[in-house]
Amino acid sequence: MSNILQELESEIAALKTSVSKSNIGIVREIGDGVAKVEGLSDVMLNEMVEFPGGIHGLALNLEETEVGCILLGDGTHVKEGDEVKSTGRLLSVPVGEKLLGRVVDALGQPIDGKGDIHSDDVYPVEKIAPGIVARQSVSVPVQTGIMAIDAMIPIGRGQRELIIGDRSTGKTTVTIDTIISQAQQNRAAEEGKLKDHKPLYCIYVAVGQKLSNIARTIATLEEAGAMDYTIVVSASASDSATNQFLAPYAGAAMGEWFMDQGKDALIVFDDLSKHAVAYREVSLVLRRPSGREAYPGDVFYLHSRLLERSARLSEENGGGSLTALPVIETQAGDVSAYIPTNVISITDGQIYLETDLFYQGIRPAISVGLSVSRVGSSAQTKAIKKVSGSTKLDLAQFRELQAFAQFGSDLDEQTKAQLDRGERIVELFKQQQYSPIPMELEVCILWAMQNGYFDKVPVAKIKDCQSKMEEFLTARKDPLLGKIREEKAVTDEIGEELKQAIKDFIGSYKA
Amino acid sequence: MSTGLEIRRTARKLISASVENGQLNPDVVRAIVKKLAGKKPRGYLQLINAFRRLVRLELEKSRVLVQSGAPLEASLREKIVSDLKKKYGRQIVAEFAVDKSLIGGVKITVGSDVWDGTVKSRIERLAHKFG
Repeated sequence: MSNILQELESEIAALKTSVSKSNIGIVREIGDGVAKVEGLSDVMLNEMVEFPGGIHGLALNLEETEVGCILLGDGTHVKEGDEVKSTGRLLSVPVGEKLLGRVVDALGQPIDGKGDIHSDDVYPVEKIAPGIVARQSVSVPVQTGIMAIDAMIPIGRGQRELIIGDRSTGKTTVTIDTIISQAQQNRAAEEGKLKDHKPLYCIYVAVGQKLSNIARTIATLEEAGAMDYTIVVSASASDSATNQFLAPYAGAAMGEWFMDQGKDALIVFDDLSKHAVAYREVSLVLRRPSGREAYPGDVFYLHSRLLERSARLSEENGGGSLTALPVIETQAGDVSAYIPTNVISITDGQIYLETDLFYQGIRPAISVGLSVSRVGSSAQTKAIKKVSGSTKLDLAQFRELQAFAQFGSDLDEQTKAQLDRGERIVELFKQQQYSPIPMELEVCILWAMQNGYFDKVPVAKIKDCQSKMEEFLTARKDPLLGKIREEKAVTDEIGEELKQAIKDFIGSYKA
Repeated sequence: MSTGLEIRRTARKLISASVENGQLNPDVVRAIVKKLAGKKPRGYLQLINAFRRLVRLELEKSRVLVQSGAPLEASLREKIVSDLKKKYGRQIVAEFAVDKSLIGGVKITVGSDVWDGTVKSRIERLAHKFG
């Protein structure tokens, strides 16, 4: 009790001679989540302002005679004539490990009904990206567990890889598979089964999606045990345009906390097309000049400043990383539209998902020709690099020859072999959703494919052969898988063991 | 001039013409309004309204509201006005009001700046700190 008295006395003593200075304004116009405020002469850009009733807002438009503020909350009780006070603070969100496993809104407040989050730290939502000197090149892979991506379009920690495609082509599935794969690896590392693995924490930012979709995604992550390593930031279609605009930045702030602690994080922005639409809505209500397709002039900067915050920091700065997987939805496969071209030019590569491939049964529907990873094989383990070296080329040759094959003309043996090999590669790269494959199994399958062990298996039986091979290797050759897992390379010794193992399997496999 | 943007631009030019040495010249304001009302150019009503708003904002910059818990002595009032004149470097019009809810102390509002040394605000700050 004496402590509280002492505290009270010191506070009163501090207040005796102090005069507070504040900067105020008066609401002149309110509507559509935007308030026009006269006054606030000292307010800064992106500064938080306080409306009556504890509602906060952000000062976004600093005009000559008024300030345009977006409301962060329910503005139904704000009216003309209300006094608005500047706070001198930037918008910040809670960050830290206590957010893992939780579903939060764009301001970091929990919406999963599991109680308050008492985070240790807050980070500003808008932050300048790390400079050039603070970074290092991307060289550590993100094992997505999707064989087509790990083999041909590898993603590294600290990279920005765009996932682009029409509606219902599997974009979200690719990101969820990646998150599930990270959770499996993190868990294996905790159990001692995976050595030298730095955990990768995931943040899934849902922008403008249906609440049912978000709920289904969360249920999938919970079922796969991935929620323990994941934060979900939700700004659904029923949230205001302001919240949808802020959600990716809030997610980036949470990811930056991990990066600054020297840890690795992965953030998925699903999707940035809806984010751009939300920003357009906010800008139009703020009466900012509109440009192409009614987007504001700084729509490129909207995404570039967000994605530049993903980086791999140098060892002097902790060695942490933030990998970004932005998602863009195209209309009728048009990658040359405004927002897609903007984001393609910002990111370090793209994974292009095609509707035609999807309906042909090739899932994930990755177009190998149009997809690229600008980081490339620097983001692959030696093992994967060795076994997937010529896969992209083989597939490219296969696609060229496919056009001739449909004419049914006589083909020479070499062409037939290339066509057969191509068909088998396409079949092998088909994968069930939410079933990421561990790196060591990918290596074995790709090695077997590269060395022609699937050539005698009918195309229709390739998936059956693959799944039985995986079962065989997991059940009977676990030490071999362990060696590949640890060394992350196919040494001569491992190569010999692998050869023997695959031979044993193929010998016993009946198509 | 017909668009809102043109009207706002014109109103800003008119208010710049009305301000001399940082002070609004009421004679110039009257002359502008008289001329607009007389000549009635296209959109003159919107222009006069926009101009009126800018005049109000300009006047508010110089308007000072001094609120206190109890009536202030004349010497104190003069001191406040002269200190504010020195600080802002322009003529100010001070309005004095008594608000018993402030309990004690003085709250000075100059445009959007508020200096609050009242007992009420100190208690509120104390409550916020412990809340």
